[in-house]
Amino acid sequence: MGKYLLKRILHGVVSIMVVVIIVMVLIYSLLNREQVFSADSAYGRQGGNTRETYCYNKWEQYGYLDYVPYTDWLFELASSGEIDEETRAEAAGFGRKPEDDPPVAAEYVARFTEYYESQGYEVIRLNAIMSGRKVANGGAQQLFATKDLPLAGRVWNYFTGLVDIDNIHKAEEVEGERGLTFTLFDPLYGGDKFAPAIIGNGTEHRYLLYVDGQFPFIHQNFATLRLGMSYTVSNGVDVAETMSRSQGTYVLRTTTFPTGHAEESADDLHTATYMLGSREANAINVDRFTDDYTVVGTVRGGFSKLGYSFVIGLMAVIIAYCLGLPLGVLCALKKDRLIDKLGTIYTVLIIAMPSLAYIFLFKGIGGQVFGLPTTFDIESGTKLIFVLPVISLALPSIANLMKWMRRYMVDQMSSDYVKFARSGGLTEGEIFSKHIMKNAAIPIVHGIPASVLGAMTGAIITERVYVVPGTGNLLTEAINKFDNGVIVGVVLFYAVLSVTSVIVGDVLMATVDPRISFTTKDR
Amino acid sequence: MDHDFDLKSLGMTEEQLFSFHEHSDLESEKITAPRYSYWQSVFRVFFRKKLNIFILAVLALLIAFAYIYPALTEFDRYGGLLNPDIKHLSPSAALKYFNGDPRYILGTGASGQSTFDAMWNGARISISLAFICGAINMTIGVLVGAVWGFSKRVDAFMMEVYNILGNIPYVLLISVLLMLFTPSFWTMVFALTVTGWLAIAYTIRIQVVIIRDREYNLASKCLGTSTVKIAMKNILPFMTSVIVTLLATEIPSYISYEVFLAYIGRGIPEMTLGRLIFEAEGAMVTPGWQFEFWSPVAIAVVITVVLYVVGLNLGDASDPRTHM
Repeated sequence: MGKYLLKRILHGVVSIMVVVIIVMVLIYSLLNREQVFSADSAYGRQGGNTRETYCYNKWEQYGYLDYVPYTDWLFELASSGEIDEETRAEAAGFGRKPEDDPPVAAEYVARFTEYYESQGYEVIRLNAIMSGRKVANGGAQQLFATKDLPLAGRVWNYFTGLVDIDNIHKAEEVEGERGLTFTLFDPLYGGDKFAPAIIGNGTEHRYLLYVDGQFPFIHQNFATLRLGMSYTVSNGVDVAETMSRSQGTYVLRTTTFPTGHAEESADDLHTATYMLGSREANAINVDRFTDDYTVVGTVRGGFSKLGYSFVIGLMAVIIAYCLGLPLGVLCALKKDRLIDKLGTIYTVLIIAMPSLAYIFLFKGIGGQVFGLPTTFDIESGTKLIFVLPVISLALPSIANLMKWMRRYMVDQMSSDYVKFARSGGLTEGEIFSKHIMKNAAIPIVHGIPASVLGAMTGAIITERVYVVPGTGNLLTEAINKFDNGVIVGVVLFYAVLSVTSVIVGDVLMATVDPRISFTTKDR
Repeated sequence: MDHDFDLKSLGMTEEQLFSFHEHSDLESEKITAPRYSYWQSVFRVFFRKKLNIFILAVLALLIAFAYIYPALTEFDRYGGLLNPDIKHLSPSAALKYFNGDPRYILGTGASGQSTFDAMWNGARISISLAFICGAINMTIGVLVGAVWGFSKRVDAFMMEVYNILGNIPYVLLISVLLMLFTPSFWTMVFALTVTGWLAIAYTIRIQVVIIRDREYNLASKCLGTSTVKIAMKNILPFMTSVIVTLLATEIPSYISYEVFLAYIGRGIPEMTLGRLIFEAEGAMVTPGWQFEFWSPVAIAVVITVVLYVVGLNLGDASDPRTHM
């Protein structure tokens, strides 16, 4: 079993990687990148050559290509000490046309071209656009090198950068000695309360391990998951973070900063990360922090996107199994009687109807007849807001479970071993609970992990209709906003969930039914 | 013998009384059972239920109306755009304004168009989409699924393909395809069929695998029947009910899927039922405008439910075990 499982997991990992590669091909290579600008108002305001460089700039941010303007390259040379500031300024003044280049500029332009062309870049020089004797609006001359990121490199970078391990050599120019200290009494709690923590100096995060009052109570920062950087959905934040951070209002409480300064603040000092020179740049930080570990997250109420989707999804799954299975059994027991017919009508309606229709129907009924809240509001304290989304999600699952449970039960009821058990003198109740139920439940068990894990992916229509801030709309939002980093991250997340749920389902089924074996040797 | 009598008393020659009958091995194999025609039995079983006749009639009426009505009437979606008096009229107000013209029985929409006309035009496009996608996906799915189930080598390869393609979110794939090409009716058909056959092929594969190794096929193989003949004569008839049942769930699912895609803003410019629902979403909560939203929803529900029920019952009827 162990060997088989390992093989399955490896297969799963390979499929997930192929999925990510296919998705990368779809969005980076196949999709027309001009479409990025279809809803961009800034694009329309650009003219001439600046529009061109604007495009390349954006494409670099969306992750399509690498874009190096000539001037950036010169700055880099200057900062590495290869050329002095004077030469840089002189070299930067290249002409409106290649023939007009001053000698120094011509030399560096040639070097720039040679350097980048040897690396497979395309060097593009746009001559100035003139209107009369003056340069037209946005028509200034441009010189830059650009190269589409190759798929192999993109895939390699993505998978190697997926988990970011923090270490004590990460931060630049830290004060004091680099190292990790373990303490049983976290200084943030005053230093006398028992709270184990690992504090780092030289690491990116100040606290590598700490405990606090928020789920899941013990937190670690040794390894950070980087699923994909967002650009348009939430600027500069990783998808993993977008999905898992709380979305409620700030929770203000008296916070004592490392300098001893205390104030009402939502800052979560445990999340402090390093930023070189942040105290010099911002006077507020000087009052609060004794070193450059100043970038802190905030404590917010409510759930994260993942939290809302999972809570709603899980409640729906529980309700579906609690109602769907007994109802399916009931339909099978009273086959062809009224209750069975009603059950069939229900399943047919729910399965055949577009989901949009009954979700709106239930929104209408729940809102107008029962007065339940129909729009999700994170701040309202009432738990009633969960009722309608949960019901909407549970309805199709109940129908589906009912349908299958009834099918499996009916199939089992007419099988030979049941007839044999009956002729052997077992009571109907015994046959039912000991034989039919157990056998009919086996295929049902297989689907449980998929329903539970699937709850995390959220539901697109339900969340949209009830304005639930969950994960369901993340993918569609990312697609609409061309946020390629988020698309890849979300796809990876979905793929991991689905592969895991199939494997766990198989294992669970083999555990419940000893006859099922996945290894040929065991048979 | 008790009834011993002389044959000669009948006054006939031996040739007149007896003729030699040749024994034929072939004839003796013939079974003298009542004639059985598969499809006749299917329809006999199907029409035995009165409900089926009724639902089939409703379906035929719906489809006929959805194709004939838009062809006979002229529908200009933006025809009433410049007339502010006829926008968002309730049924009664519309009937009053248009002097009882039955085309306005469901009121008017955002640009003064008749909701009734819009609904049927949308239904025509959605039904066409569902039938075309269903036909393409079922054909490819059944053929691939049959090969997939039969060949062990193809199975290993296809399982990997299935595991990988099954994990690419459908929404993403369709969105990318719709963005890649100009969104149109045929782009949508392409997007819905490019991987849509895979699930059908997988279902067929499971059924083929189950039936392939049954004893009667094993016996047939031992008797020297060719694989093609086994596939055509032994397995295909068994699969008919599965295929018809699949068709019953597939065709309505395209209408539902198109509604869903239109709702998340990934629709096509044609005024399908999905797009009508999507555009009228705001009207649902506005008092007096609800008809604009609920009429396309209602017609979508009626079409999908009727198609589903007809398909399911036809699937039941095409199962030879019900022909007794």
